[in-house]
Amino acid sequence: MRSQRRFLKIAAVAAIPALIAVGCSDDDEEGTSTGGTSAGGSASGEVVISGSSTVQPITSLVAEGFKAENPDVGISVDGPGTGDGFELFCAGETDISNASRPIKDEEAQACADAGIEYVELKVGIDGITVATSPANEAIECLDEQAIYAIVGPESTGFDTWAAANELAAEVGSEYTDLPDAPLTITGPGEESGTYDTFVELAITPTAETRVEEGKISEDEAESTRPDYQSSPNDNVIVQGIEGSDTSFGWVGYAFYKAEAERMKAIAVAGEDGTCVEPTDETIASGEYPLARDLFIYVSKASIAENPSVQAFVDFYMTDAGTQAVADAGYVQLTDEDWQATVDAWNAV
Amino acid sequence: MGLTTTKQTQQAVAARIQRGGTDWKGLLFQLSVLASLVVALVLLLVLLWTVFWDGIGTLTERGLDFLTSGTSGNPDTAGVWQALYGSFWIAVFVVVFAIPTGIAAAIHLEEYARDNWLNRLINTTIRNLAGVPSIVYGILGFTVFVEILDGITGGRSVIAGGFTMAVLVLPIVIITSAEALRAVPYAIREAGYGVGASQWEVIRHHVLPYALPGILTGTVLSIARALGEAAPLILVGAVTGFFASSKDASFTDELQGPFTTLPNIIYDWARQPQAGWPENTAAAIIVLLVVVLTANATAIVFRNRYDKKRHQ
Repeated sequence: MRSQRRFLKIAAVAAIPALIAVGCSDDDEEGTSTGGTSAGGSASGEVVISGSSTVQPITSLVAEGFKAENPDVGISVDGPGTGDGFELFCAGETDISNASRPIKDEEAQACADAGIEYVELKVGIDGITVATSPANEAIECLDEQAIYAIVGPESTGFDTWAAANELAAEVGSEYTDLPDAPLTITGPGEESGTYDTFVELAITPTAETRVEEGKISEDEAESTRPDYQSSPNDNVIVQGIEGSDTSFGWVGYAFYKAEAERMKAIAVAGEDGTCVEPTDETIASGEYPLARDLFIYVSKASIAENPSVQAFVDFYMTDAGTQAVADAGYVQLTDEDWQATVDAWNAV
Repeated sequence: MGLTTTKQTQQAVAARIQRGGTDWKGLLFQLSVLASLVVALVLLLVLLWTVFWDGIGTLTERGLDFLTSGTSGNPDTAGVWQALYGSFWIAVFVVVFAIPTGIAAAIHLEEYARDNWLNRLINTTIRNLAGVPSIVYGILGFTVFVEILDGITGGRSVIAGGFTMAVLVLPIVIITSAEALRAVPYAIREAGYGVGASQWEVIRHHVLPYALPGILTGTVLSIARALGEAAPLILVGAVTGFFASSKDASFTDELQGPFTTLPNIIYDWARQPQAGWPENTAAAIIVLLVVVLTANATAIVFRNRYDKKRHQ
């Protein structure tokens, strides 16, 4: 009996702070919650950041550095994905949105409809690496047309590399002698920014001419073949690439760099037909075809209302920001490009 | 009677009937169940061993620092402090809201409710609710606690997460408590009524103490379940990146601010590409296992102590 009574006492004591918390918050929040949503961001010294999971590590590092100098600011960096991030951003729920691609027209429209103005700042570059198993001796280089023939929407059902030869020739690839070896493909799923960028950079250019020729529909031009192993987890993708000697897959360049000994990067031929390996230099110079820019979008309303947001982006635009890009494993902008970003911010 | 065991008798009788032949079917069955046990155990040990092997380096190297550091973009300085704090509050919400409510509901269903169609329907519904995938509770939590009750929870906060988890484990608490109450022999209640006790007195002094060890087991399972869930909390808004609250933030500000929990931090770290994160992930898994096992062990100690006291 006694221990039972003690148990009840403990439960009662534990309940008190929780009830107080609930009681207090009721009063505090009523005023600010209505004001917060209409004004598009909180003005309480909180910086709320969401968006791309690719950019999340960069902004996290910047946020830590900023937090160390400004202990009185609350800050949170989340990474649900670029598209989800813009939805929150255009609903006025976040101050800054990380993005692994420029904002889409319909997203920009949603922001405009909600009266959210923003400034776009390019902070770094990420490359897509097309990879195969280190044991694969047959494949050194491919052009975009060959990649289209291997994973584009028309390649559905190809289970050997050689099966893609005919299509590769049809779309004008230089690589029409692919080996007769099993083809297993692993890559990020459709929800991933890396998937979007891969499609945009590697598939769409060729797909657009196919749409004009009437071979595929416009919807198909924005997708890969559906029959490949997809995973949101980069580690699973690498396991898939390692799993077969003649595998094919694609990952972000940062991840390739971190796990370079487990994959063999396939060089990609540019417009003039020369093969370009993905390296820090070829990506920064724009030589390597499969690279994408990384951005942060800052709400102008937040800048005006919340001095912490202004201070945070000011900090981002110092060396701390560009250093974070490198620390997170991405490619830094060239000095001129970085200066252009800083100028764009200072002009706001 | 006392000279032969049941097993010896069974063997002697079987041998006589089967004329000394070997019971092949029986042997095969015994071997196959043993094999299943071995497979299950080996898989579990391989899992635990690989996690332990990957994570122990980080834990011994960083030691307390790993437990007291917050979220970070740098694997060398990232720690689980905020996740431990978040998980602690999830457990508090479950203990404070789900467990008393659940036990009370179970007492009503088992002791007071009449056996009619309505109560049978309620019983069936609760059983089905216990089997609803946790992600569905995440959607419920997002709609009710993040959106509608925004004023109380502060939106995507540990309060919203705690309430969501409390609702998620409620059916489990009710079912396990009801099972424990049902296991109390009816003779105990009859004896109570026989000496003139009221229904309240019988429940309070006889049924509940008898059922308490079983109820405690159920509550431990529910806390362990709440500590291990990640999916619903992603919907409720557990932060997957970095966060820190202002140094001026009050206690309530913190409860209403961004949060994460151990399973969420494991989910986040597991998908980070850079070197160092896989080891951190394994170390965080070890921390989560230790926390859950500690919670379980505490309740077992409680239960055993209570069991002993009652029998004295």
